[in-house]
Amino acid sequence: MVRRLTLAFVVILLLVIGLLPVLSMFVKSVIADGRLSLAAYEGLLASVRQWTLMGHSMVLSSLVTALTVAVGVPLGILLGKTDLPWRRFFTLLFVVPLLIPPYIVAVSWFDLLGSEGLLAHVLGASATRTTARLLFGLPGCTAVLFSIFLPIPMMLTMIFLRTINPRLEEAGRLVAGWRGVMKEITIPLVLPGVLLSAMLVFLLSFGEFSVPNFLRYDVFPVESFTQFSAFYNFKAATAAAVPLAAVTLILLLAESAFLRERTYQLRPFPERERLPLIRLGTHRRWLFASAAIAGLVIVIVPLVVLVIQSAGIDAYAEALDRAGGSLLRSLAYAVAGATLLTFLGFFTGYLVQTKALRYWRSVDSLTIFLFALPSTVIGIGLISQWNTPWTNFIYGTPVIIILGYLAKYTALTSRISVTQLAQIPPSMEEAARVAGAGWFRRMAFIVAPLARRGLVAGWVVGYIFSLRDTGITMLVYPAGHETLPVRIFTLMANGSPQLIAALCMVMITATLLPAGIAWMVPAVLKRKVIG
Amino acid sequence: MKIVGMDAVSKFYNGERALDNVSLEIEEGERIVILGPSGCGKTTILRLIAGFIAPDTGAISIAGELVSRDGRIFTPPERRNLGMVFQDLALWPHLSVKGNIEFGLKARGIPREERKRKIREVLDLVGMAGYADRKPAELSGGQQQRVALARALVLEPRALLMDEPLSSLDLELNIRLRKEILRLQEKLGFTMVYVTHDRDEAADMATRVVSMKQGRIEV
Repeated sequence: MVRRLTLAFVVILLLVIGLLPVLSMFVKSVIADGRLSLAAYEGLLASVRQWTLMGHSMVLSSLVTALTVAVGVPLGILLGKTDLPWRRFFTLLFVVPLLIPPYIVAVSWFDLLGSEGLLAHVLGASATRTTARLLFGLPGCTAVLFSIFLPIPMMLTMIFLRTINPRLEEAGRLVAGWRGVMKEITIPLVLPGVLLSAMLVFLLSFGEFSVPNFLRYDVFPVESFTQFSAFYNFKAATAAAVPLAAVTLILLLAESAFLRERTYQLRPFPERERLPLIRLGTHRRWLFASAAIAGLVIVIVPLVVLVIQSAGIDAYAEALDRAGGSLLRSLAYAVAGATLLTFLGFFTGYLVQTKALRYWRSVDSLTIFLFALPSTVIGIGLISQWNTPWTNFIYGTPVIIILGYLAKYTALTSRISVTQLAQIPPSMEEAARVAGAGWFRRMAFIVAPLARRGLVAGWVVGYIFSLRDTGITMLVYPAGHETLPVRIFTLMANGSPQLIAALCMVMITATLLPAGIAWMVPAVLKRKVIG
Repeated sequence: MKIVGMDAVSKFYNGERALDNVSLEIEEGERIVILGPSGCGKTTILRLIAGFIAPDTGAISIAGELVSRDGRIFTPPERRNLGMVFQDLALWPHLSVKGNIEFGLKARGIPREERKRKIREVLDLVGMAGYADRKPAELSGGQQQRVALARALVLEPRALLMDEPLSSLDLELNIRLRKEILRLQEKLGFTMVYVTHDRDEAADMATRVVSMKQGRIEV
């Protein structure tokens, strides 16, 4: 009973935080002066510009998806399935762009290739005319989003590779070489993961507005954001957000119909057994060189550019002077968001894993829907629901930002919990139950300690995504509560390149430092224990 | 003719000795059963013979050819012409029964018509004619077992390695399938290396039983 009540409370919380804002937004978009009205949509559909923007969004998302999958899947196989040297380092390296706010990557490429960028200083302005032209518009947006979302197909391929029973590949290896085994057995088995990653990249590119906004490529999500923040036309902003939600819903329904059963539970094969690796032999050198060059261009060059651009203590002093408060607020909100996300994700994950309530599948679908939903849609939804005189204690305080994090990112911590909980035999909890422990006691002393690695990973992921969030925070932050990503975004219009680069470096450090610590501490402890 | 030869083979996992100086010879047509408790190194022997792992010390030969020695593999699994039935069967879930059997034939470049004939024959042999288009998940445990056997036999291997293939079945089905395996072995005459922890099963299946304990062959 306690279990059911607690989990039901978690479900209600998710509905209030996530679903209600989206529904409220939709209802408000079809009601004018107390009557049903589709005027906002008629205006939207009649506008040629809107169709052009939608076309741009579709083209951009399709290009980014095709490129990331074409490169990310082979990269995932290379890093997850072969004896390439430095595989772990490369994996971490390629993930970095996904962990920082997307527009920071765009800023660094602008600092390098822009008409007044570093390259222009070295080679002269005429030499960078073409690169600057390409950077602004579809090619630049595609390239930047490609580098940001490349880790998604790469990581999902690696994760799905780990779920394959090694016996299936060994059975193939008895009669065929690795090439045949990969083609006929391994790749078909990871195909659901590849398709899932393609869908995720498409939806995330489709909803991304900070990079297209900075690189001046007009896409649909920018419209919703502009209508609200520039013109304060809430009805038009809402109407512009609904098609984004509709596209997300359609794609997720397709995923649910075709893939969900096959991607539902990712159970990594037990670590004690080494996965069979492909020996690269003579190909090892050139593949290593290719991975190193790709990592250099995609990750290291943009970071080095920011370091060079921000060089000098003055830039950092000014950065802290102008945005020190935003940094502290960002850290505080991210820590609070991560902690709540860990709790909410744990209970949601438990519900999904144990199927404790009949509607567990709907709850899981809801979290995924909210994650895939463009940030602008969630932001507009939150405003629509909470911007009332009675709920100003939420809307007028940082609580609204935290609610945004919970709505958008619970899917991540929930998925991590599901994966971790799937590896704990049900008998563990059953044994505690037989011993007379109540549900909370079982959770606190048996299940949570066994799932601690997942909880720590969930916290770190929650922290990173809360800290890097720009889309929701930009729309909902109360006056005087802006976060660092928002501060950087607004300063980009008139701040000096040195100041922006310094702020970006501060942001990157704040994002990656806890992740680095979380990664290193267990390794150090393990070494000590062994020593 | 000697099909498999293991000469003073040792194997370590994370510093722990899994096999300790094991020497073993298996003659053509022999039904050898490796018997022992869990963790005694039985499966390691099969994986060494198959070529999935290399011995840390010692040498292994197949049909007189040196295939691995002292941490190095000279002949990869696909060039050893061995069949294997895994403990969990390892039927490829995305392929049909026919697809599972055809994979190895395709890999060897056998023409389409011949492939069809061989698949038909082997399915007849294991009593699974009519199930070619089913997916593994649509079969019972015993039927899956037969498909795993058919997949291994269709390539006419030098030896068939069987890693506790019947351990997950109930006793009645287990005994029935033992008889079928013996019938097939008598009919086709293949060499069989069979791993089990069950003494009755070992007595039923073997022309020779090799007992193992803590990584060593007991004399």
